[in-house]
Amino acid sequence: MKYRDDVITSLDTCIKCSACTAQCPVSKVNPNFGGPKWLGPDAERLRLESGAILKLALDDCSNCKTCESTCPSGVKITDMILKARRKRSLDQNTPTLALKMRLRGYVLGRAEYLGRLGVIWPGLTNKVLGLKIMRYGLDKALGISKFGPLPPYSQALGIRADQAKDGQNRKLERKVMYFPGCYTNYNEPNTGRMVIKILEHVGYKVVVPDFHCCGLPLEANGQFAKAQVNATHNLELMENYLQVNVPIITSCTSCGLTLKEEYPKVSVPGAERIGQQTFDLFEFLWSLHEKNELPLNFIKQEISLGYHLPCHLRAQGIGIPSLRVLSLIPGINVHNLDVGCCGLSGSYGFKKEKYEISMQIGRGLFEATKIGVNHGDFQEMITECGVCKVQIEHGAGVPTKHPVWILAQAYGLA
Amino acid sequence: MREFDTRVVIIGGGATGVGILRDLSMRGISAILLEQSELGHGTSSRFHGLLHSGGRYVVKDEDAARECIDENEILKRIAPTCIEGTSGWFVHLQDDNPDYMKAWLTGCSRVKIPVKEIDVAEALRLEPMLSRHVEKVYEVPDASIDGFKLLWANIRSAERYNGKFMTYCNVSSVRVENGCVKGVYAENVRTGEKILIHSEIVINAAGPWAGMVAASAGAQVSIIKNKGVLLVFNKRLFQRVINRLRAPRDGDIFVPHETITILGTTSYTVGSPDDNWIMPEEVSYLMNMGKELLDDIEHQRVIRAFAGIRPLYEEASTVVGEGREISRDFALVDHEKLDGITGFISIVGGKLTTYRLMAEKVTDWVCNKLGLEVVCRTAEESLIPPVEEKLKDKARTMFGVAMADKMMERLNDRLGEVVKQVSQDPAQGQLICECEMITKAEIKHVVHEFNTTSLNDVRRQTRLGMGTCQGAFCTYRAIPLLADLLEEPGKLREEITDFLDERWRGVVPILWGEQLRESELTRAIFNTTLGVGQREQGR
Repeated sequence: MKYRDDVITSLDTCIKCSACTAQCPVSKVNPNFGGPKWLGPDAERLRLESGAILKLALDDCSNCKTCESTCPSGVKITDMILKARRKRSLDQNTPTLALKMRLRGYVLGRAEYLGRLGVIWPGLTNKVLGLKIMRYGLDKALGISKFGPLPPYSQALGIRADQAKDGQNRKLERKVMYFPGCYTNYNEPNTGRMVIKILEHVGYKVVVPDFHCCGLPLEANGQFAKAQVNATHNLELMENYLQVNVPIITSCTSCGLTLKEEYPKVSVPGAERIGQQTFDLFEFLWSLHEKNELPLNFIKQEISLGYHLPCHLRAQGIGIPSLRVLSLIPGINVHNLDVGCCGLSGSYGFKKEKYEISMQIGRGLFEATKIGVNHGDFQEMITECGVCKVQIEHGAGVPTKHPVWILAQAYGLA
Repeated sequence: MREFDTRVVIIGGGATGVGILRDLSMRGISAILLEQSELGHGTSSRFHGLLHSGGRYVVKDEDAARECIDENEILKRIAPTCIEGTSGWFVHLQDDNPDYMKAWLTGCSRVKIPVKEIDVAEALRLEPMLSRHVEKVYEVPDASIDGFKLLWANIRSAERYNGKFMTYCNVSSVRVENGCVKGVYAENVRTGEKILIHSEIVINAAGPWAGMVAASAGAQVSIIKNKGVLLVFNKRLFQRVINRLRAPRDGDIFVPHETITILGTTSYTVGSPDDNWIMPEEVSYLMNMGKELLDDIEHQRVIRAFAGIRPLYEEASTVVGEGREISRDFALVDHEKLDGITGFISIVGGKLTTYRLMAEKVTDWVCNKLGLEVVCRTAEESLIPPVEEKLKDKARTMFGVAMADKMMERLNDRLGEVVKQVSQDPAQGQLICECEMITKAEIKHVVHEFNTTSLNDVRRQTRLGMGTCQGAFCTYRAIPLLADLLEEPGKLREEITDFLDERWRGVVPILWGEQLRESELTRAIFNTTLGVGQREQGR
């Protein structure tokens, strides 16, 4: 039965309207890339015939999922492309990727291990990664671009155990489970701490178990089996909570998308609930507001900000809840730049051969940011996604942070 | 009136006709083939695309089955790029007659069709769409064959031996003097030019039109015109040919063919060779029949329906009945014996799988008639000259493996010219048809190299417009490439309408679900935005 619900169903749904290709950020800057329709449903028909189609072009997709957000027919285009990559990785006849590329896939896919290493002695790691010679070495040895904005490491966020004595109490307490994700955990733990503070401020106890990486960077870098292992591990940690309707909160948009869209496909208990029980932080706060449960005692903020919508938040199909929540704060003024993908797309822009394209994709955003700053519209950017943040700082040179910090200021928590 | 001289005239540019042209040319006998439309516009392109192993005939007609398995092996050898060795399964479902299965197995071993039993669990793993009611699965060397590619390969092979052919050339009558064939009168339907070809022998290979051709010489051939309706699915549903293991009936075969799957067929006798319109009830009947092999058939997208006319030969003594009762074997009718006309024969009946054998028998007859002793070599010599490995690699690097391989199958030895075009100007590598992945360079090549006169001609050589969108996007992209062919700008508009009409014809009978949405998009693009193509679609 599974086969019938598979990509094969959505292949037939495509009516070739090409709306996805018109919106694809990679197509806009790379004339050699045929676009999502071509690499997805068009090529899928040929893949079903021979399996040998467009193997190299598969890597041109940045997995930003703009095509899926765009498609008026609901075709899971990126899904199809990722599945073709997976098939390619299992295909005995595919010439094995050069050792360098396999190593890179291993390194970029394992943001978690790198993070765990990085946080042992963040100061040293950051210094080493900051060395030109080190970046030159990574570039030559692993094909990780020496120009890409690798984010620095901090003291890890760590876990927060559940204080409840038994399952009985769990039901009575207002409790959420927080899935911080690797970037928050290892690169920006203070943001994670602030998310927890906010959740507590609005009346929830926060549990953070020892989660592994959500699996998205692994999938994007061809490490499919490991992604599956991670999802299973994480779902096991969530299972008891999911059974008693504890919401799972994400502040990273890619983790959020993975939990909502990918985890329901894993066959372990809890998977059937994870999709509807996962909330982006601001999506959750807005739902509280709709129930009149969100404290509105905000301190007035005379502040003007630029906002960038991460592709993986758009793909969640929940609008922009952060802007709705921030609009409740008096005095605040947010400019939604609405210029599309930043180009980094997870680990895409860290790859040596993709760095240039990634910067071209992001050009519109960088320009809009700089113009906004030059016009005096705002001096600071906000965006939910960690790698969008480092890319904006890298490409436009404008300080950028997670919107949770603005909310924290308004609650007097920061 | 233009006049030509040749020893043999062949009427009909289907598989049989081009096979005869090739055989005659290889044996050094001058011949001209006349086709009323484009090559293969009749039955040879309107079938399920099955290269028979003989399995479908083995119980009823062992001779036909034996011919099939022999020719199956020969064609796989001489025309590999026209054939995909998918293999085929005969599937016995719950409640199917076990006696037929026994008879079938006995027949296969007598005719020497290799049969291998496939474990049911393994079968369902390999073909996950197959009905869960399957009880036995046997594999035979069925394959899928491309009618268009086969025709072109034959024509090009014949051309290398000085064979000649004229398309859009309608035979008005066979010229007979004193009971002897003297040639044919014909007319170019595009230009109106009258043509007279002098010849010693005329071969009637006009398929469903054979009766009309014979009548023009005052002879008689009785052909039963048996319509078969087929459905085209958007993608590969099966990787192998799937036959039902029972006496052949309607809707019991799926053939994977390039990117699509064809479900066939029905069997219904009609009055005219042009009577290939499709009724909605024929489509729903086929869907119901197909459902027995593919439970989930309703959820699979059908992109078009088409019908072909089987020209079944009815000997005077045969009782008139429905198509499947009549032999699929072929017959060579010597009109000297039947009608007293010397030098005139009709080749009737048969199957695409046995086209080469039919051509061999006809050519043997011609040699005998002309008093020549030359042996047939069509079973030994490859139809297609091999493509250099170096060129193949270059194409694969340029277009990617699968796209290059598809292009090679279409172009064969002419691949080099397209590769040269694209390496000189990479913009020529732009895709015009994204469903079937056809580049600008290939279309330009087809437009300029062969006797192409219309977008439909381009389609028959490249599969342009035969994919999911049925011409919605490739039509307006391809039409400017034909500008050189069509003298007046007004003709472009007409050409678009002609092409879309042809696509529309196959889509109308299956207008539901996704293909209905697709058609609405097509209508919006052409009728509304571009204001063209309204002749049929405005109905």
